[in-house]
Amino acid sequence: MSLNHPLAAILRKLEKNMRTLQYAFMALAALFMASPAFAQAAGGSSTANSWVPIGAGIGMAIASGLCGLGQGRATASATEALARNPGARAGILTMLMLGLAFMESLALFTLLIVFAKVK
Amino acid sequence: MLRLINLITHFLNHWFAGPVDALLYKLGIHPQHPSRPIGNTLTLELIVFAGMILFCILVRSSLSVEKPGKPQHLAEWVHEFVEGQAQQVMGHGFVPHLPVLTCLLIFILFCNCFGLLPGIDTPTANPSVPLGLAVFTFLYYNWHGVRKQGPIGYLRHFMGPVLLLSPLLFPIEIISNLARVMSLTVRLYANMFASDLLTLVFFSLVPLGIPIVFLGLHFGVALIQSYIFMLLTMIYLAEATAHTEH
Repeated sequence: MSLNHPLAAILRKLEKNMRTLQYAFMALAALFMASPAFAQAAGGSSTANSWVPIGAGIGMAIASGLCGLGQGRATASATEALARNPGARAGILTMLMLGLAFMESLALFTLLIVFAKVK
Repeated sequence: MLRLINLITHFLNHWFAGPVDALLYKLGIHPQHPSRPIGNTLTLELIVFAGMILFCILVRSSLSVEKPGKPQHLAEWVHEFVEGQAQQVMGHGFVPHLPVLTCLLIFILFCNCFGLLPGIDTPTANPSVPLGLAVFTFLYYNWHGVRKQGPIGYLRHFMGPVLLLSPLLFPIEIISNLARVMSLTVRLYANMFASDLLTLVFFSLVPLGIPIVFLGLHFGVALIQSYIFMLLTMIYLAEATAHTEH
């Protein structure tokens, strides 16, 4: 079957889907193999098999990453706006500071939950 | 420095532990150590308060039109900064609110900066302090909104511009207003607490040199958070007292 055959495109897409599924299953298997990690966290929290430390770490990582993305976009917009119109510096800076603080506070809400839940 | 603060706290407890305990028991709160219910946080807040009053007395006593001295320059600069921001955000009718806004800015700024001194916990890293400030701000802007628009008018401003959407918009606005207390508190508290914690963690890892960077970060965050608190108060005031012209 040559590479330009119409069925070759479908086969390539099928192969890509299979590969994604393979990766997903490998990741799931790795997560299930992580149960020996619970043996060390015995005295840490209320039950023996607690997901709290892992959840706290992953949750905080996601919150900080998304906060970083959002703040990067806001800063990029503000820099571009300032480059287009240097006279509007005061207003742009005010709005940039306000936006950055709001996004920061969303990530800090997650930190608050981490501190409330992790003993 | 910490010993001085501890000494002042010790004296405050010695004199005021009785009345403070009585007040706390009446409110249903049982302090862990009834002999010393007052902590370092209140001492630091009182120091900032006394410092602000002393500065204002100093400026008032040395006011001069022809030859302004340094305290007057500083006070004028702060006043112009707050006035410029208020004019940008509120447009008009901001003059009665300038004292409260300036006090919020300076108080939070100095409370935050106290954490830079070695060994001293930031007063605003104790969750009660930002909570108190946020509750005060909430009551303040709601009170001024009700005063300006009347209770019925104030409730009507929650309904939004279009009357058809008001059953949907009214609960959203009420909840978002109530969430402002929590968001103001958590923003200030978590920023200061996290900076303190970060400095401590890196101090325990690398005791020499690196924590300076985090102290600088704490200072920058202190400035920005106090400015944001003041700016948000202005925005909430503008939203609460607007809407009189249709």
